[in-house]
Amino acid sequence: MPAALTPALAGISLKSPSGATWEFLILFLVVIVGPPLMTRARVPGIIGLLVGGFAIGPYGLNLIGAGNTTVPDLGQLGLLYLMFVAGVELDLALIRIHRRAVVVYGVLTFALPMTFGTVIGLALGWVPAAALLLGALLSSHTLLLYPTARAAGLSADRGVATAVGATVLTDTAALVVLAAVSGTQVAGGSPASIAAQIVVGLAVLVAFTLVALPRLARLAFRFLGTDRVVRYLLAVASFLAAGTVADVFGIEPIVGAFFAGLALNRLVPNEGPLMDRIDFFGSAVFVPIFLVSVGLLLDPGVMVEGETLKLAGLFIAASLAGKAAASGIARLALGYSGPQATLMLGLTVPQAAATLAATIVGFNIGLFDQSVVNAALVLILASIVVGTLLVDRSVPTVPSPEAVAHRVGARILVVLTDPAQARLAFPLAARVAAADGGIVRGMLAAPAAEMAALEPRLAELQAAAYAAGVDAEPRLLVHHALAPAVVDTATESRATLVVLGVSTVDASFLGSDAEAVAAGLAVPVAVLLGSEAEVREVEVVREPADRPGGSAFDADGLAIDLGRRIAGAEVEANDLVPESLQSPRPGLLRIMPATSWQLMAGTADPGKGSAVLLLPDL
Amino acid sequence: MGGCGSISGSAGEFTPARPGVLTVATSAVPSPGFWEGTAAHPTGGFEYELARELARRFGLDRVAVKVVHFHRIVRGHLGGADVAIDLLTPTSEREEALEFTGPYLKSAPTVLVRAGTEVPDLKTAQELRWGAIQSTTFVETIEDAIVPEGELVLFDGQQEVVAALEAGRIEATLLDLPLAVAIAERSGGKLEAVAQLPDKEALAVALPQGSPNRQAVDSAIRALTADGTIEDLLEEWVGDEAANAESEIPLLHTTLH
Repeated sequence: MPAALTPALAGISLKSPSGATWEFLILFLVVIVGPPLMTRARVPGIIGLLVGGFAIGPYGLNLIGAGNTTVPDLGQLGLLYLMFVAGVELDLALIRIHRRAVVVYGVLTFALPMTFGTVIGLALGWVPAAALLLGALLSSHTLLLYPTARAAGLSADRGVATAVGATVLTDTAALVVLAAVSGTQVAGGSPASIAAQIVVGLAVLVAFTLVALPRLARLAFRFLGTDRVVRYLLAVASFLAAGTVADVFGIEPIVGAFFAGLALNRLVPNEGPLMDRIDFFGSAVFVPIFLVSVGLLLDPGVMVEGETLKLAGLFIAASLAGKAAASGIARLALGYSGPQATLMLGLTVPQAAATLAATIVGFNIGLFDQSVVNAALVLILASIVVGTLLVDRSVPTVPSPEAVAHRVGARILVVLTDPAQARLAFPLAARVAAADGGIVRGMLAAPAAEMAALEPRLAELQAAAYAAGVDAEPRLLVHHALAPAVVDTATESRATLVVLGVSTVDASFLGSDAEAVAAGLAVPVAVLLGSEAEVREVEVVREPADRPGGSAFDADGLAIDLGRRIAGAEVEANDLVPESLQSPRPGLLRIMPATSWQLMAGTADPGKGSAVLLLPDL
Repeated sequence: MGGCGSISGSAGEFTPARPGVLTVATSAVPSPGFWEGTAAHPTGGFEYELARELARRFGLDRVAVKVVHFHRIVRGHLGGADVAIDLLTPTSEREEALEFTGPYLKSAPTVLVRAGTEVPDLKTAQELRWGAIQSTTFVETIEDAIVPEGELVLFDGQQEVVAALEAGRIEATLLDLPLAVAIAERSGGKLEAVAQLPDKEALAVALPQGSPNRQAVDSAIRALTADGTIEDLLEEWVGDEAANAESEIPLLHTTLH
């Protein structure tokens, strides 16, 4: 080493890493390394985050000290995010289908663990508020294992759908109890004034989230949301706003975040691109950080104490007994098979999000001490293990549900041959999709030779889709032959309805392309004629009952269903008369099954302001 | 309930050293805004009232105050008191001798100077003569983050460092923001809080190592934070100035930031 370097090197001073950069590094390393390590050991990844939080926390290596405020603050944001996602991801359409079973099972799976938990809390000598909060945390559950049932093709199973739907009731009820309990602890004043504040607060919160927020979000999506980043930030701002409204009334902000998720449920379809982004940031950053921040509270010294283990044992017994009794009663009362009831139990046993939320809130308001938090964490670990065993065991024994009617609005593919139709096609598609919480994809058909000329016009589709409140992510469908290109794209995207747009009646198009698309797909195809319509009225027309329809679906029923969705009210079908083939009056959308391309081709061009939706039934 | 120290099994149990009494150790009485009156006859102050709220929550009849040297408190000698409430920041070194609750305040180290002294930047700060109370975290903060050109002068307690500042023996010291603001307010214009450091420090209640009361006091601090009691006490005894000062006193970026 050159002599001149020695003093220079000796002068180098290193300091131990500290500050926000170091803390974030530690945090992200845990998020990266924790879950895969646990998964390799066949333990759910969520445990890796909790254990990782413990490892870096004050009871572990103390890399993040007890006085640290950054990680807990970020964890708080993660908790809000988690509750928002829980609300926005729920499949409300499925819940509607099985609503009676959902209500019965939801009430049972909430009330029984709630009762058991409250009784145990009171028996332990806890104050009523703490006992009620214990009941609430035992009664909620998180659908951690739903992806397993879905992957097994059981998402449409009656038992699975019921368990999913019941989650809305249990988590909402648990959060209402949480709101009431925290309200009584945090707000000052007489019991009457506290009760009034909570009731008024919940009423304002429900009005804000379920009435005002969807409208505000729809407006904002329409006027500001042409940028994906802005749409994502609007979703984040929505749950922060709802959380703030809740907080103003002394209700826990997580209740507001969950309600905001329910409110935006329809605006953010589960398979849509915005949901993708919400899921991505949630699972990459916010939710893991929340779980790590919970892990910071893990204190093995407290966890192995007799008191903690006693509490954990009681919690596990009360929760499992309550959930098992609920699924047993539901099996007898609602006629589920044994494997279905076991699967429902497996799905509703795991406790994570709402349980953690209730526990942490109880801890933050001083109702629970660290031994209760640690006992709740033991409960979470045990419930995930038991739930995994039950689901793994029952999934192979539950028969796949028989083919259920496709939800026509689940995934709509709009293929336009003329960009000018976008302002008509997307609003109609959006209304059809809304009832199923579905998504709309947009494509502009471009013969290979016209690709360059049509590409700039994608912006028209984008703007029209956003104006209709959907994120259609329009693309060019470059083709040499339209029909096979549409069939391939619809098949690949698992479309449940294809809307094929053509601005004027073109016998050759209808006789070749539209007919070939309808014949090549097992899902309904709707040919949209017209472009400058503002639909104010819907008319459904049907051919005589003995017509020779050949498609796999009931075209008349579909026409009435689409009419109802677009009109937003019940519609009746009128018989086809010669006038039905004339142009509708301005403002009218005519929906008409067609058993031949000749009938389609015989339809007059819709005049300005009107439109026709033909359903090939060939 | 009186004297038994039980609140709710779910939030921990409190057993006082002396039946019916919460004994609190602190190092300086009076301390403007935090401990008013004398140790034998305290008349108020944020930390005294906080102790009274804790006693009320534990069903204890009264609060007894013990003045213990700060140097001894941070080494775990509380003179038989149940808790120490003395603007204590949890550090790993202190955690070897004491148990800490979660924070009841988060406060930025704040530069207190004689009126007219300006500290617009780190260079100016380094040229000042600095003093600090020994055994506080501010000693390390001044040495590592400010790195003054001159020797740091250590003092026994808060009253001594403030007196030295007023007398001009030192030109600047660091104190917790609400205390610095309260001292400046009551100095009759002689002292001024002119800058705050970026990183806030947590201030927590300390208990003797191995105390069975930690969970109960920890739960109580969280409850008093959640229901707004701590904020109300701060406003009552330190005043709105502290809240406004947080946004009004300029930040001093140091060698660590």
